[in-house]
Amino acid sequence: MENERFARLGKSTMRHLAMEARETLQRLADFPDNPAAMSLFYQFFSALFTGNHSLPEAKPIIGVMCAQAPLELIHAAGATPLRLCSGAYAYEQAGAEFMPAKSCPLVKATVGMLHVNRALWGDALKSVVIPTTCDQKKKSVDFLTDMGFPVYALEMPPAKESDVARFYWQESVKQFALDLGGITGRKITRQSMRAGIGKVQQGSWLFRKLHELRRTDPPLLLGKDAMLVTNGWFLMEHDSWCAAVTQLIAELEQRRKNAMPAGKRLAPRLLLTGSPPVFPNLKVPLLVEQAGAVIVTDEVCSSSRLLYDAVSYDEGTLDEMVGAVADRSLKPCTCPCLTANRDRLRKIMELTEKFAVDGVVYHALAGCLPYEMEQRQVGKALSAAGIPMLYLETDYSPEDLGQLSTRIEAFIESIKARKRRK
Amino acid sequence: MKTYFAGIDIGSTTIKIVLVDADEQQVGDLITPSGSHFRRNTTTAFQALLDRHGIKRQEVEGVVATGYGRKLFREADDVVSEISANAVGARKLGEPHDSVRTIINIGGQDLKVIALDENGNVINFVMNDKCAAGTGRFLEMTARNLEMEVDELGFCHALATGAPLTINSTCTVFAESEIISLLAHGHGKAEVVAGIHYSIARRVGRLAKRLGIHGAVFFDGGPALNSGLVEALEDELMQPLLVPEAPQITTAFGAALLAMDFCRAAGE
Amino acid sequence: MNSLRRAVNKLNLSRFRFYFQMGAFLLLVYGGYLAINIGDQLPAFSCVFNEQRGGSCYLMGFQHQMALPWKQLFTGRGIGVAIGLLTFIGFFLLLNKAWCGFVCPLGTLQDWITMLRRKLRIRYSTYGEPLFRKLSVIKYVLLALLILIPMGMGNSVFGLPRLNEDFSVPFCMICPGRTVLPLFNGDFSQLAIDFSSRTKMILTALGMAVTGIFLAGSFVKKRFFCLFCPMSALHYLFAKAALLRLGKDGAKCTRCGNCYRACDVGLRSIADDVTSKNMVKDDCMMCLKCVEACPEEGCLKVSFLGLPVYESTEAGFFKRMGKRANGK
Repeated sequence: MENERFARLGKSTMRHLAMEARETLQRLADFPDNPAAMSLFYQFFSALFTGNHSLPEAKPIIGVMCAQAPLELIHAAGATPLRLCSGAYAYEQAGAEFMPAKSCPLVKATVGMLHVNRALWGDALKSVVIPTTCDQKKKSVDFLTDMGFPVYALEMPPAKESDVARFYWQESVKQFALDLGGITGRKITRQSMRAGIGKVQQGSWLFRKLHELRRTDPPLLLGKDAMLVTNGWFLMEHDSWCAAVTQLIAELEQRRKNAMPAGKRLAPRLLLTGSPPVFPNLKVPLLVEQAGAVIVTDEVCSSSRLLYDAVSYDEGTLDEMVGAVADRSLKPCTCPCLTANRDRLRKIMELTEKFAVDGVVYHALAGCLPYEMEQRQVGKALSAAGIPMLYLETDYSPEDLGQLSTRIEAFIESIKARKRRK
Repeated sequence: MKTYFAGIDIGSTTIKIVLVDADEQQVGDLITPSGSHFRRNTTTAFQALLDRHGIKRQEVEGVVATGYGRKLFREADDVVSEISANAVGARKLGEPHDSVRTIINIGGQDLKVIALDENGNVINFVMNDKCAAGTGRFLEMTARNLEMEVDELGFCHALATGAPLTINSTCTVFAESEIISLLAHGHGKAEVVAGIHYSIARRVGRLAKRLGIHGAVFFDGGPALNSGLVEALEDELMQPLLVPEAPQITTAFGAALLAMDFCRAAGE
Repeated sequence: MNSLRRAVNKLNLSRFRFYFQMGAFLLLVYGGYLAINIGDQLPAFSCVFNEQRGGSCYLMGFQHQMALPWKQLFTGRGIGVAIGLLTFIGFFLLLNKAWCGFVCPLGTLQDWITMLRRKLRIRYSTYGEPLFRKLSVIKYVLLALLILIPMGMGNSVFGLPRLNEDFSVPFCMICPGRTVLPLFNGDFSQLAIDFSSRTKMILTALGMAVTGIFLAGSFVKKRFFCLFCPMSALHYLFAKAALLRLGKDGAKCTRCGNCYRACDVGLRSIADDVTSKNMVKDDCMMCLKCVEACPEEGCLKVSFLGLPVYESTEAGFFKRMGKRANGK
């Protein structure tokens, strides 16, 4: 009886997942002149979500539930990292069966996804790494352990300013590096660590090139596509991601020469900050760009916060490199789960200036209190700088699409009016 | 040949159309239920308004659609969100001219507060969440429960002699049972109506306080015709409200003005 | 011009620095063979006890001058002292603390010891920031002693009896430059304890001990001795006026900490201070490793008289790091 119900849950979730993915992909493709190289990404996501949601071929797989887990170490231990944060409403509905109604949809969807797929993924996932960042992720440690997943709680301090916090995190990451060797059966060495850092750095380099192509006026790539590309970083196999992005960059460079921008001239240039939009929940970026504005840059943990920062090391000892990677994932981090998060304001201000931003869209997933609370201070700082901000609190459900689009359009109209007068 | 501009506000309950001439003067207006065929009803209503004033379609130089059904009306030259259109209309109609800084709009299914800067630019706005609590629909439902017409609510409010009764929820479903139980306990209709107005006002006030109220407050949308609600809202916000003569059509009027703007901008 | 600047910014500065230091070392330690003398007021440890030096450390002359009776300071000799000091300041202002990072033979020597350790694959030790800040007081104490002891020789300070001649150039007696640098010319004579008087015995014995600590310390801790260097303390008094500068654009900083980890003297402000423009803090020796480690375009900048010399760039960072990831 119980088994039958579970099988039905799996089947109906998969059906809804496929419907949702198809609709989002349709909306993504429904823009004129999408770069041809983007189809590599459209195809990847289509294949992943419309069939059975299966794990990548490359084994062993280490799942991570947050941008805070250093991917370099997982590469160095000879494993394939896979980010588990889900953006699927279907999975969120599955998770809603046992998660509190007001909890964050991303955590709900992630836990729901693991619940639905536990039979399918149980053996392939060698570990589910959960950095102890926000409360809801912390609490899912026990949930997932009870489901039978090999959970690894990567202890993270709630602050980053003090030496104590830095050392705590470094020790925690060093222990993780040691434990990873046991999990995958391949010890991390100097060489493998250097190669692991190299891989992530390659991603960072490509991301920064894309970043630069979005900075032009008008930008060469739309934000909805950039979001999909960065989503690909934590789901696709490393080499194929790099190859696809390289191809995309080459095409955009060509478009730059041919003067073929992605956004309209004078289209409002927006920055997206807040909760991460993860496929298929590209609701906000899509609505914004359908309304005629362009997201030229972002400050979210599925994109710039994940890929921008690059690590360096001096002598290249294993100990130093692991410490360096730990620093990379803590010191520049602007996640609101950290206390004293003035760096986020600085980052947003720097991006608004560097990308000549006209306005900011602040996306908060309903249930993520830290983002909801920081909205005020970000709004205040922006208004002092004369930059308008739209605060959107939403979840994965498509119900508020109409409402959201009215708000977004009004915001964009007011920016256009402002620009016209300038 | 004289030229005209039209603003069409396709709301969830009613379609509002306003025609203005080149001097920004209102020539005519029309309000009709939205029904289930937005597009057809809009086209018919638009033609009816033109016929009534003897204006030819070619004389209408620009048409701007707004409101929740704005994208369904494809004859429009431009589409704007009801927030922008409302802002333009309110600035023009609020006396003294261009003084309005805060707009409270209660529509058939939504409820919004818009903050403007001294030049009339929208600087911020808030809307109710997904549900229609405390909106025009809610008032309609209440009136039905009390066996009266919506336009009688204001009059009934004025009859209240005792203190308004507490209605805890502005959710249509829960409020209904609260109203029934209050009536069953022998409370008067007038006090119940006043209570409802105050509970809506409190909800609107909460929304408005999130934005911060500056300067003159303009109140429009169909429910602004309800004098009881106006009074409750004035009490709640502790300041007088500017209510236009025809509060339903301010957004359509704003859209018509925007149609003129767009035509002129395109002409330049 | 712009393409030249881009090329410079992509430079592997550490390698350039390695060769520059080598050249400076050769010049200062062996310059005498070619009768080169670039001056006697150098703001770097080019030791006077090394016969073939190509220029001399200012501290020795300075200690001698401090030993002058105060009365004489107001005569022609005072002018000599002033000229000496001004020459020293002039030299210093030119390169700022880069004297330490690029020129000082004793600094170079420590970097070589670090390289040896690296070759032996031995890890360096790290310490928390607070310890460094505590230690930085020591060099000011040494600087004060280096002035006060000679003064006590030439004058009766506070009516105390004058110190005897054996206290002459007290810092030189304990400086590892005196014992180590002459070795490069085959002169082992300084590597001894002078038993001629008790004072000299204590000072030279201390010198031998410091030499030992210098060698061992710099093997474990990068630029160990620089943390205690009174020359560095003297430098810092004038560093704000120097022409060569290390600046930071705090708005561009992500506080990622790359520069802090690269810093041999553990200056945390380089990563965490986003308001100061001048990044040459006490203990900084302008090795510029931080600039190399910074991936942010134009965040850390070296300039001379306001003209950009070398700055952090994205392209430079990824070029340098990419090479290392490939095992080079």
